[in-house]
Parts: sequence; C-alpha cells; structure tokens
Amino acid sequence: MARYGMLIDTTKCVACFGCRVACQMQNGLPPEEAFIHIYELEKGTYPNVNLQIVPVQCQHCDNAPCEKNCPTGATYTTKDGIVLVDENKCIGCKYCVVSCPYQARVVSHETGVVEKCRFCVEEVAQGKQPICVATCVGGARLFGDLDDPNSEISKAIVTKKAVPLRSDLGTRSKIFYVR
Amino acid sequence: MFRNQISRRTFLKASAATTALASIGTIGFNSWQTLYAENKENVSITPSLCNACSSKCGILVHSKEGRLWKVEGHPDHPFSKGKICARGHGVATLAYSPDRITQPLKKTEDGQFAPITWEEAYQEIGTKLNQIIKKDGPDKVVFVEDPRPTGKFYGPRFLAAIGSPNYFNHLVVCSNARDTGFIHTIGGVPGADIANSKYIMFIGRSYGDGLRPASVQALAKAKDNKAKVVLVDPRLNNTAPFADEWLSIRPGTDLAFVLAMSNVLIKEELYDKEFISNYSVGFEDYAKEIEKYTPEWAEKISGISKETIIRIAREMASVKPMAVIEQSWRGAFGSTYANSVDTGRAVALFNALLGNLQQKGGFTFPKAPKLGTLDPLKHPEPAKSKLPRVDAEFHLVSKGAGVASVIPQKAMEGKVKAAIIIQTNPVRGYGNPQHMMEGLEKLELMVVIDVQMSETTLVADYVLPEPSYLERDDVLEGLPGGKPAVCLRQKAIDLVHPDTVPADKIFTEIAKAMGLGQYFNFTVDELNQAMLAPLGIALTEMKKKGTIVLNDPIKLGQVPQLKTPSGKVEFYNESFAKAGFWPIVKWVEPKVMPDQDSFRLITGKQSYHTHAYTANLPYMLQITKDYQSERLWINKQRADQMGLKDGDLVEVESSITKSQVKIKVTERLHPECVYVPSPYGNFSEHLHLANGVGFSYMDHIPVQVDPIGGTSMIHEIIVKVRKVGV
Repeated sequence: MARYGMLIDTTKCVACFGCRVACQMQNGLPPEEAFIHIYELEKGTYPNVNLQIVPVQCQHCDNAPCEKNCPTGATYTTKDGIVLVDENKCIGCKYCVVSCPYQARVVSHETGVVEKCRFCVEEVAQGKQPICVATCVGGARLFGDLDDPNSEISKAIVTKKAVPLRSDLGTRSKIFYVR
Repeated sequence: MFRNQISRRTFLKASAATTALASIGTIGFNSWQTLYAENKENVSITPSLCNACSSKCGILVHSKEGRLWKVEGHPDHPFSKGKICARGHGVATLAYSPDRITQPLKKTEDGQFAPITWEEAYQEIGTKLNQIIKKDGPDKVVFVEDPRPTGKFYGPRFLAAIGSPNYFNHLVVCSNARDTGFIHTIGGVPGADIANSKYIMFIGRSYGDGLRPASVQALAKAKDNKAKVVLVDPRLNNTAPFADEWLSIRPGTDLAFVLAMSNVLIKEELYDKEFISNYSVGFEDYAKEIEKYTPEWAEKISGISKETIIRIAREMASVKPMAVIEQSWRGAFGSTYANSVDTGRAVALFNALLGNLQQKGGFTFPKAPKLGTLDPLKHPEPAKSKLPRVDAEFHLVSKGAGVASVIPQKAMEGKVKAAIIIQTNPVRGYGNPQHMMEGLEKLELMVVIDVQMSETTLVADYVLPEPSYLERDDVLEGLPGGKPAVCLRQKAIDLVHPDTVPADKIFTEIAKAMGLGQYFNFTVDELNQAMLAPLGIALTEMKKKGTIVLNDPIKLGQVPQLKTPSGKVEFYNESFAKAGFWPIVKWVEPKVMPDQDSFRLITGKQSYHTHAYTANLPYMLQITKDYQSERLWINKQRADQMGLKDGDLVEVESSITKSQVKIKVTERLHPECVYVPSPYGNFSEHLHLANGVGFSYMDHIPVQVDPIGGTSMIHEIIVKVRKVGV
C-alpha cells in the first residue's frame, strides 16, 4: 500500500502544454476537455518582471471536498491514495465541480460523467509513471509514495521545500509545488 | 423504443450533449477501468519519428487495432530522450483531421480543384516538365521543402536527374542570416553544450517556446549544476523560469550589445589569447574595428546599461570556455533584421573569444553518421547540375538553403517556370503572401505535395496528397550530434485515406513519366538498406529500434580544422569582401525604427504550434482558444498611455495592410514593440479551424530581402495600433 503524490517544480516549467495534451491522448479526451490547466503568473513591473508557471490538476486530496460532497459515493479514494470517479455511480450532478477549490473537475460531454486527473492509475498499476510525469520536458514533475521516507519524491519535498497549493483550506492535497 | 431497464450510466450517455468528435480524436474517451482492461492487450508500439516540427524527435507510437492511441518519447533519440512536447502528442492526430486531402487534385480552368487519377497526374506533370525543360532549360524548375528525410533525398536527386541546380528550403525565414554569419566565420553552426555549461546566454532564442525536449532537459541539468542563464530578448519569453536575468533589449540592437561585450573582452584582455593566436586569422583588424564599440556607445543604442554589459562580459570570461552565447535558430538574428548576418558573425566571434569551440560547456561541432549510398552500377546516380542558380546574386547564402522568397519575382521575370513544393507553405510563411501568390501564379506548372490544403496549395496546378507521417515509411535520417545517430520513420497506424501516396513514389512516378525512371529504380527499403550498410546495421534491426545512437563521440578539447578557407576562425572575411560587403563585422542599423506613436512588430514561436501548419489541428488550436494566445502583446505602460485594456480589440496598421486582433497587456514586453505569436493568420478556406484565427506578421511584411543573408527580415515592420470602434 502506498500513498501516492506528486511534486511539481515550477522553476522548471515553461508551459509547453506537453502534460495537458499527453493526458488528453492517454485518456482519450476530446480537445476541449483537459485535466491539466496552466496558469501564468506575471509579477512586478517592466523591466523587473518575473514569470511563474503553475500547472494545476486534481490534487488528490487526503481530505477531498469532492469526495465528501459526492451524493452517490462515485468519488472515492483508493487504498493507494488516488482519488477516482466510478463512472457507474456518477449521476453528473456536478456537486464535485463546485466543491473543488482547484477547479480540477471536467464534465465529459461524451458520457456526462464528471472526470478529472486519475494519476494514470492504469499506468501506475503496471509500475509506470503518470503520463504527465513521463513526458515533462523540464523534469518538473516527480511521482511517488509520500509514505516512503526514502522515495525520491519524499526527499525532494524536503530539500526543495515543496508545499501544497492553498494548504490553509485543509484539503491535505498530495501535489506539492516548488515555487 | 424504451427498454424496461435503463441504467443510470446509459441514461447519462443518452442525455449528455454529443458532438462529432470521434473522428478527430484518437480512440475516444475512456474510463480508467476501460483503459486498464484494454491496455493489457491490443496495444502495439512502433518506434518512429515525429513530424510536428523540424526536430523530428524519436517517438513510440501506441496504437490499438491500427488506430492511434498515444505517443511517447523514444528514450534513445537525442532530441526527445524519452520526452515529447505538446505538438508531439497532439499533431499525431493529423492523420484523422477532417481537412486532409484525400485524393490528387488538378486546378481546372475555372480555378477550382477537381479530382484526377494518380496516373493522369504523373503523366501530365511529367509531360509539362519535359516541355518546360526543352523550351526554357532545366534551371527554370525549382524545388522547395522544409527538409524531412524523404524530401531531402528525393528532392535533390530529382533536381539532379532533370538538370536543375535550384534547391530551396524554408531557411529564408528561419536561420539564413545566422548561418551566413556563422559559416563564413567559423565554418559551420555548432551546438551549445548546454548541459555542461556554466554560463548560458540566449539572444532571442527561447527553449520554452521553440521547444525541443532534450534542449529543455539539458537546460534543467545546467540549472541543477548552478549554471547562470541570461535571456536577451525584448520579450520575457517562456524560458523565464530557468533564467537568472532578463535583459529587455531594444529590438534590433542585439548586434550593438554583442559588439560591446566583445569590446570588453578585448580591452580588458579577458579573451582566450592562446586560442586566438593558434586558431584564428585577422584578429588585429577585428580588434581595431571593435575599439569603437564601447559599452557607453552600446548603452545608448540597446538600452542595456554599460555596467550590465561590462559585468556580463566579465562574468562570462571568468568561466570560459564553459560559457556560451547559444547559437539559436530564427530568434533575434536568424532572419530577423537588416543587421542579422552581422549579429551572427558577432555571436560566432564572441564565442571564439571565449575559446569555447569544441570545449565542454561551449560550442561543439556535431559529427554526422557515415551513411552508405546506392550501388551506382545498379542504380545510376544523376550528376549534379552545373548551371548557375536562379538566386546566384546571393553569393554568401548557403546553396543548401537558397533564397526561396525571390522565387515569385523570378517567376514574374520568366526565370522560374515550374515549382515542386513539398510539405512547406511559402505563401503563408516565407514573405508577403500577396506577392508570393502573384508571383507563383505566373508559373506554368506548380505542384504541391501536402496533407492539407495550405495557402500554398491554393495557387497550385496540382495538389498531391501524402499519407500523414504516422501512416508512412520514410527515408532513413542520419542525425549529426555529440554522438551521431540513425533514425527511421515508419508506418505506425493504418492508412486513413487509401488514395494518398508517399513522396518517394510520387517522385519516382513523375521521373518515370519523364523518361528518367532509371534514376529511381529502387524502393525506400533498398535505399535505407544501402544507407545503413557501412554501419553494420540491418534494416530489420533499424525497424525494431527506430533510433540507434552510434558509439562514436566527438572529441572534446580538440579544436578541429574549421570549414573556412583558412581552416581557422576568420575575424577577417575575404568572402564578404569578394561579395562586395565589409570583411570585418561592424555595427549596422536596423532597416526601420519606430517613433513615439508607432511600434516595431515582432514575432516568435509558441511551444504548441509549428509554422503555419498546426493551427488547424483541434488539440493544438484548443490551447490557443483556452488561453486566448493568438492575442497581440503590448507593454502595459504604453497600453495605459493609449487607454488600452487587456482584451481590447485593436487594429494593427502597417504600410501594407490592417489586421484586427485582441490584445494582451503585459509587463513582459519592451515598450517599443508589439509582439504577435507566429502560428496564426491562416487564410485558406479549406483549413476550417485555423481560418480567421489571429493574424500573421507576414501580412504586414513588405517585399524585402536582405542582400547579404537572403532573409525576409521579419522584424523590420513598423505598425500603428489603435482601439477598434473609437
């Protein structure tokens, strides 16, 4: 049993959108549905300007508001800490859409199911990495077991001082950002 | 008809809005449960080459029952190293684009395209070419490409077979000026050893925008090793997260900045004296010229303070030879300004002053694999034409590139009568499109080989459709590098449109129709086998692996004999003097300068588009739509002064035309320019998604050619901007 999480080092992200499109292909998503969004934050005034690029997707919260608010139990957490949607239980009510503070939920217009990043559970089950991690050209993403103190990700979170997005919300999200 | 029992799932499926997306996507949306079940079986993986940009990265194509599922980066390929960019993933769906050309087309007398059989096309084109060659000479035929493995073998061979010297590619709007500057001073274009460098300067080049996966990986490695990264660009581009410093240079003045840094190295004797005395000619003359380019002088021109210029020159010298100005492609001096050739010379020579040629962390010349050739006894080799090129007045431009933007003018003068254009879009991309179309319409024969109806196809007489790159086999690619490699594009998914034909067969059949079939009496497999033979690699092994890196590395620390006339770095260029230009690099003014009421229009790439050929693909264009990234960038202070707000619709007016577009108000841009991303402005009505999205800087470009480097000088445009409706 693991507790899977991700680290995203924004100092290595150039907003190439490789993760977004790789994810769309992996999951057979149509062009207008994406599980990964990218925010470009411009700080300062010309010519003293900084650019920070922040990719956002389902944060796989330990205390997931979407799971708590799901009336049918369609949203659930696996024993490995991956938050998933059971398509056979989802009624498309969109409670999860409004309760997700990271705006990570996407309605599938093909099936009506509300979907999101699944940490590529089907790849991870085969010992591979999620596709967004595998394809990241800057090596900005790490994936691994947060409960294993010796995992690369656990060490990197400490050495790079990575923190979750909006930890004040109490979601205990499992994507850690280097900013 | 109702069923008694309707599951909740079925109900949702029936009630959800359905769109006709199955045809453009890959295999359709899948729940993770389905993916998990499916992927245990039914997935085939074929190694091949991407074609989403000119890098042609190695990829592993995953398909299910002959249909594309997804693409991953080939772990061995030097450009992908296991990773692939957004285009690599999304442009792969080109195979399923509803705007594909599905059968050969011929323009009829009313200007419309009508289907024609392949046999008719080959015969008519062959006959017409023979008539033109007989009547006007073989040099009236030109070939234009954006080099891809099959085209770059078959195109030149076809030209040789018919007796024409007129090979052209897209470098007229890519790197012609840089190449001209580099080739005549240091004998070629080395690559920066980014991963091992301690100090990296990019001038207009952005790894985050004109993206190659391995380059970003190398930059990330350099940063892990604490390298310093400086961006010199009027725009804070998307390499910014990796940068320690952004120098917002006044557009068009990079040359002054580099000359002044060179001045510091010489004046303070910080350059590599041993390297210069052993491996260069003409240094004294150059040093004398450089004396006048002081940091104070450059500050006034470039807006970069003299303190900064001095500091950075010293910082780079302190870690030489592991410091480098990256060579770039188009960037700020590929085909950009009237002074771009001289910027290219100055950059090459600045690197030479650092003594970084063939040094770890510096500028390294790649090694090409030694490929075999067809047996000339079985496959007669056509001799290269000795006739003068139609662009012979550009003495310094590489004949491996040519100046394709002069083809329309030459066509109007009757010096070009026929053109064969493959997988490139000169009308949208090489210069003023109106001029391009007018010129090309004068041709007696224009044949375009493509997969979609580009703007260039609109003026063609024949449009011949190829299978898209995942549906076909191509000629072997020999890839130069720190370690040379061989790579193969091969068919990875089922052919989507049965009446499409790969370019090797098109050239072969036209040659046969012309009575020149003896020069093309081989298959691509036979050719690939012959190319691989000296390497001891069997074609079966090549097909299995897709990419093979040869264990034959370049030797670092040894300065090679350079491919210049002297074999050394040429600070004094006899070739420039002979061609009627200045033999020593000097300051050259940009062609145009904006005033207080106008802007320079600059452009640049976006990481999810290539040239003008990907904006019609749904997965790529959707990014543009979601992030409104076709907008024109304008400096916040200038926008405030003009009362413009983010998202306002503006009119952009040059001496040529007017365009309308929304603006992005930003602090990331020099106030003297506006920036328009380069992928937009498709006007072919057959490109249903891209048509009408954004505008192209090319619409505003006057008919102009840099006489030294043969480029379209794409940033030499002045525009006025005003809010629409005021």
